[in-house]
Amino acid sequence: MVRLKHRYLLVNILFPDLKNAPSAPRPKGVDELPYAIQFHQPSSDRMNAKLLMQMIRNGVSELFGDYGSGMIAGSLQVKYFSQATSTAIVRVSRDHYRLVWAALTFATHLPKPVNQACVFQVVRVSGTIRKAEEEAIRRARLSIRRAKRDTKTAQKVGGSADGRAAELNEDKDINLEDVSGFADGIDDADEPGDEDESD
Amino acid sequence: MPFHDLNIPYSSSQPSSALSHTLLFASELGYTTVALSLTFAGKLPSTPPPIPVSTLSIPQSLTILTRLTITISDASQNHRLSSFSPAYNLLALRPTTEKALQLCCTSLECDLISLDFTQRLTYPIKFTTVAGALNRGVRFEICYAPGISSSTSDDRRNLIAGATSLIRATRGRGIIFSSEARNALGLRGPHDVINLAQVWGLGQERGKEALCEEAGKVVKLAGMKRTSFRGVVEVIDGGGTSASATVRPTNEGGAEGRKQQATTKPAVTTQRAERGKGNEVVPSNGTKRKASVSSLGGGVSTTHDESEDKPLSKREMKRRAKKARMEGKAAGPDDTHPTDGAQDTTATSEFPIKHEALADSSNKVPKKKS
Repeated sequence: MVRLKHRYLLVNILFPDLKNAPSAPRPKGVDELPYAIQFHQPSSDRMNAKLLMQMIRNGVSELFGDYGSGMIAGSLQVKYFSQATSTAIVRVSRDHYRLVWAALTFATHLPKPVNQACVFQVVRVSGTIRKAEEEAIRRARLSIRRAKRDTKTAQKVGGSADGRAAELNEDKDINLEDVSGFADGIDDADEPGDEDESD
Repeated sequence: MPFHDLNIPYSSSQPSSALSHTLLFASELGYTTVALSLTFAGKLPSTPPPIPVSTLSIPQSLTILTRLTITISDASQNHRLSSFSPAYNLLALRPTTEKALQLCCTSLECDLISLDFTQRLTYPIKFTTVAGALNRGVRFEICYAPGISSSTSDDRRNLIAGATSLIRATRGRGIIFSSEARNALGLRGPHDVINLAQVWGLGQERGKEALCEEAGKVVKLAGMKRTSFRGVVEVIDGGGTSASATVRPTNEGGAEGRKQQATTKPAVTTQRAERGKGNEVVPSNGTKRKASVSSLGGGVSTTHDESEDKPLSKREMKRRAKKARMEGKAAGPDDTHPTDGAQDTTATSEFPIKHEALADSSNKVPKKKS
C-alpha cells in the first residue's frame, strides 16, 4: 500500500503593524498592552480557512507557476484555523511543503476582504497532525502565561505587589526560548507508522 | 540558537519608536543579534555619524550592533574606509558594478559584501572573484526584505535570480542572510528564511549555518579586527581571579584561556575559505602559518574543542608535549601572579620560544579559571 505522506505546518499570523490592526474596537489603553499580546492579535472575523487556502494557492501559483500549483494541489488543505489565536495548521504533501512554506514567507498581507498587513511565521513542521496540535496548545499556554507575567510586571511598576512576587518567580522558569520554541529546530520526524512502509 | 539579522536600516529621519518597534518584533521572532545599518552612497561625510543606540528602547534578549554600508560604484571612493570602520561594529560594501565587486573582493577592507538584489544582476558572478573574498574572510550577504515586501514581481525575480547566482558562485559557503527591512513588516522568522535559502538551493545544513554561525563569525571577526592586534593580543577584562589555589596543567589552562577569548578561532578545517581567518592569528614567533593554525585546535582534549579537525601528526604531538613540559616548569613558581589586562592567545603561550614583549604575560594565561 502506498501511503501519501504529508507535512503539517503550524503557522502563526503576526500583526506587527499596530495602526491598521484587525480588532475593530480598540480599547483605550491599547498601547499599554504588552507587546507579546499586540503581535499575536486575533484576526478579523472575516478571515477563515477558505480564504487562507485561496491565499496560499495564489501565492504558490505566483511564485512557482503552474508547476507549483499542480504539485501541491492534491494535498493542500487547511486543517485548522483559529481567528482568536491567529493560528493555522496547513497540510501539504511531504515532497513539496517547502513551496507552500516559501509562499507563506512571501505573503505580505491577508487577502481581499480582510486586507491587513501581516507576517506569517511557520512555527512547526510535523509529520503528524497530532504533534502540530500539541505544539499549538503548548504555545497558547505559554503565551497566556507570558502575557500574564508581562501585565503583572507592568502593573508592578505602579504598586508593590509582594504577594505576587512568588508567582512571578514561578513564571521566570519559562524562558522565552520556549515560546519561540526553536531550541531544537522545528522539524518533527515522520509519522511512526511510516517505518513499516516498504517502499 | 543565536539567530542574527545583521541589517536593519537606520535613518535619522525615522522616528525612533518605529525602530524600537521593529527591534521588538525581531526579538519576538527569535533573533538574538541585530545590527543597525547606516547607508551611504557616493560622498562620505567627513566624520562618521554615530548611531544613537541608547535612545532606542531595546528588548532584553537582543544584542544591538552598529554597521555602516557604503555603496561603491567606482574605484575612487575607497580612500577613507579604514578611518570609518572603527566607529562601527561592522562595515559592509555594496558594489554596483562588476569591477566594483572585483575591487571589493580582492582589495578593499570590509567585513561583508552585500549586493543589491532589487536591481537585475547584469553580470555573472564568478567563482574566482568570490573565492578571493572568502579567502580573506569577507562574507556575502543576501538581503531578502526588499524582494519580499514589494508587490512587483520584478523585485522578487531579481532577488531570486541574484540570490541563486550568488549561491551558485560561492557554492553555498560564506553566505549570510539579513533582512534590510524598512519596517517590522519586512522581517521574517529565522526558520522561514532558512527555508527560503533551501528553496533557492542552499542545501540542508548550510541554510541554518548561513543564519547563525556564519553571521556569528562575521561579527566575531569584525570584533577581532577592531579590538585585537591581528588576533594575537586582545585586551580582555582581567577579572583578577586568584590563581594560587589551583594548579592546572597548562594545556587545560590554555584551553580555558582559549574558550574565554570568545572563541574567535574558526573551525580549523582544510577548507580554503577558513584559512583566511586562521591566518589572522599570527603567532609572534616564527612558526609557519600552517603549523600555527593546526596547533590552535590542539591542546588537551579535556575541553570539547570543535576546532580540532585534523589528526595530529607525531611531530606536532611531540612538539606539544615539549611545550607543555616547559610551560609547566616555568609557570609553576609563578602561580600567584595576578592577571592584568593583557593576555595572549593560547597559540603564543604554548610556544616555548618566549617573545620578549610577551614573556611576562605568557605565564598568566593558563591560571585563569572563570
